[in-house]
Amino acid sequence: MSSSTDGVTNHETRNESANESGSEGAIWDKVKAKLSEYISGDAFSRWFKNAELIGADEQPGIVGVQSDMHQIWIETNYMDELRAAFAEGAGIHCSPKVIVKGQEVPALEEPKQAARKSRAGESVKVVTPDPTGKGVAFERRLKRLGINPELDFESFVVGDNSQFAHAACSAVAHQEGRSFNPLFIHGRAGLGKTHLMSAVAQQLLANDPKAKVVFLTAEHFANEFIEAVRKGNLDAFRKAYRHADAMLIDDIQFLAGKERTQDEFFHTFNVLLNSQTQVILTCDRPAPEIQTLDPRLISRFESGLTVELQPPGFETRVAILRRKMEQWKVELENNVVVHIANSIKSNVRRLEGALTRVASYSFLSSEPMSVQKVDELLGDLVRDENTNQITIEQIQKTVADYYGINLGDMRSRRRPASIAFPRQVAMYLSRSLTKLSLVEIGDAFGKRDHGTVIHACKKVKADMETDVEVRGGVEKLTSQLER
Amino acid sequence: MKFRIAKEAFLDGLQQVQHVVSSRTTLPILSNVLIEASDEGLRLTTTDLDVGVSGVAAAEVSKPGSTTLPVKRLVNIIRELPSAEIEVSVDAKNVASIKSGPSFFKIIGLPDGEFPPLADFKEAKEYHIPQAIFRNGLKKTSYAISTDETRYVLNGIFASFKEGKLTLVATDGRRLAMVDHELEFPSSHEVDFIVPTKAVQELQRHLSTEGELLLKLSDNQVCFEIGSSVIVSKLIEGNYPNYRQVIPGESKERLTLSREQLLETTRRVSLLSSEKSNSVKLTFGHNTVDVMANSPDIGEANETLEVKYEGKEFSIAFNPEFLMAPLKSLEEDEIHLDLIDEMSPGVLRTEDAFLYVLMPMRVTS
Repeated sequence: MSSSTDGVTNHETRNESANESGSEGAIWDKVKAKLSEYISGDAFSRWFKNAELIGADEQPGIVGVQSDMHQIWIETNYMDELRAAFAEGAGIHCSPKVIVKGQEVPALEEPKQAARKSRAGESVKVVTPDPTGKGVAFERRLKRLGINPELDFESFVVGDNSQFAHAACSAVAHQEGRSFNPLFIHGRAGLGKTHLMSAVAQQLLANDPKAKVVFLTAEHFANEFIEAVRKGNLDAFRKAYRHADAMLIDDIQFLAGKERTQDEFFHTFNVLLNSQTQVILTCDRPAPEIQTLDPRLISRFESGLTVELQPPGFETRVAILRRKMEQWKVELENNVVVHIANSIKSNVRRLEGALTRVASYSFLSSEPMSVQKVDELLGDLVRDENTNQITIEQIQKTVADYYGINLGDMRSRRRPASIAFPRQVAMYLSRSLTKLSLVEIGDAFGKRDHGTVIHACKKVKADMETDVEVRGGVEKLTSQLER
Repeated sequence: MKFRIAKEAFLDGLQQVQHVVSSRTTLPILSNVLIEASDEGLRLTTTDLDVGVSGVAAAEVSKPGSTTLPVKRLVNIIRELPSAEIEVSVDAKNVASIKSGPSFFKIIGLPDGEFPPLADFKEAKEYHIPQAIFRNGLKKTSYAISTDETRYVLNGIFASFKEGKLTLVATDGRRLAMVDHELEFPSSHEVDFIVPTKAVQELQRHLSTEGELLLKLSDNQVCFEIGSSVIVSKLIEGNYPNYRQVIPGESKERLTLSREQLLETTRRVSLLSSEKSNSVKLTFGHNTVDVMANSPDIGEANETLEVKYEGKEFSIAFNPEFLMAPLKSLEEDEIHLDLIDEMSPGVLRTEDAFLYVLMPMRVTS
């Protein structure tokens, strides 16, 4: 494989010259020769005769075929043969991709290290975008990276709640603030953490199309890591991440409890920070509150800038609704918009859901939308919004996590002190944080008697007065649950 | 609104339309059935916004009107009522009182104005098709519809009105079922479209072997009128891939087999196909076919069929479910199996214009 240093070239010309280009032609001939051994004559000439290799300089294993039926049939039936033919015929170990010629230009993965890439597998998402390819091609790249192109700075509605976070992200995206490293964004679900991070990623790619931006969720990182350990190619995994120009990781709380992944992440993180690579992390809670997260990671997370996203205020909510209506081209009366903004307060995603519901209804029905109608349509959402959202299940889970016992023990009959005490704490919290009756609480804890619940509440209350540790624990749990 | 109705008629009518209603809907009105009482009887309509179904139940209407009631609950109530005769009256607040013998139910509905109307097909193209043909065509193809939602154009039946023929096709990438029927329609009405799975299921519930089906087609919706029943559905947008590319050109070997016998044999032998490979192997010898299955840890099964065959000896393996699916849906006594070699797709045909392409499984031995 030649290692072209220009990295990216125009794909259309590449497609046309695919067969003339010596290396590609030679590779594909070898692969085809192997394929014809694996697949019988009729099927081979039907599906593969006019196929060709596309963009082999950047990424091996992209096969262009003439129609969508070719793509469907090959993807369903011949991928094993194709993979084997690449390996046996041309010595290329890759996961082949089948695309319809002239329809899609695949994202290019790490042009200069294509050979290494093939060993690491295609799953590591490091992308070098095409500088000429703004617009459709650029969007397609973003999608491949896992970035929603709609989530950019322009579509983000800035309010008092998010001004600081927005300013920090904008500074990072325009590379004005290397000292904001790492940038740690936290806030509850549906407030725009991923939106801001996607916006930074897009801006970084727009600034320097050759930048290697790694954008993924912590869960994805953990999965990749496990996969790399299993296959024994940790080196490739490390290189892929440690050579990035920017690393953006979503939902870092997923690392909680995954010790080896945390360890690996810690080292990656250090390498990146030492080489002054921008790192951005999002989390649904402040770093110190992530349970079972290595303290050295927590201190590293806090070493840069920490910003919080708050639920939006009324004006911001109205502005968000108006922006969405413009985008979806729907029109609603002013009082209806104000009413939706007043009804849904905690979460932007839910706010959008409410607007979808109202807008689709007004689209389907001929009658004008009224405030009463909105109430009817949003009934369940508003109810969720008003009631205290804490459930017994949440309490049980949080308490079980906190004391490190099994969730099942919350309902079990077992009574060693190590289990019984957390269970009593959970009952106490259920009593103080929910509106459920003693009987209902008893039921949720393995059909216990309401007397047991009363006893638990008294005991925890008494313990809290005498034991600092108990009080600290209960207070911490309460604040965590009320968040 | 007030009417009297026979229990069986009401239950039948509701059951005809209740399948469209999904248990999880975003709008409460979509869990309800629209009931319109007029001289015609009761018109019952349900929709999930993608597919809508409407039918008529005979009733003695003393006071016309309309309302909507929760359909699942209504069906459960009607099914359990003690007497064969039911009296229903609905007040201005959409509260329905249901009386039958000694029992009395009151259920709360929603105003009919909220119910999304079914699409209008005033300027649509119309096609008259014998119900038997359409029913038969769906039966012979619908099992091959893909359930893979990433390939959404395959999540339905492709219907093509071209060159005096109605062609129905379904494929999931491993097999393809196709059926052709001669049909008269004006040449200006040549068209093709994709009917989503859910509408196909509704059609199969409603079509009978007699009478005619009136198909109306607008830009992105289709309407099927079957007697007094109506099924309206959105079409799947996008282009169906060129399925003709899948059909092998020339075959080397042709066998004629008894459909019933092949079906029974495959069913029996497949009892011992392993979960992992899930295949049955057909070995062709001089005037015989051996159908075999084995799973290393369980055992094996073998059955020999007598056929007329003088071609070369070879084996081919198929997924037994995929092999049996068309056999179950056909009525012909004999089927033809066209084969090339163990790696090329097999083609099952009947004397009628039915065709089924099936990819073989890889035999490791």
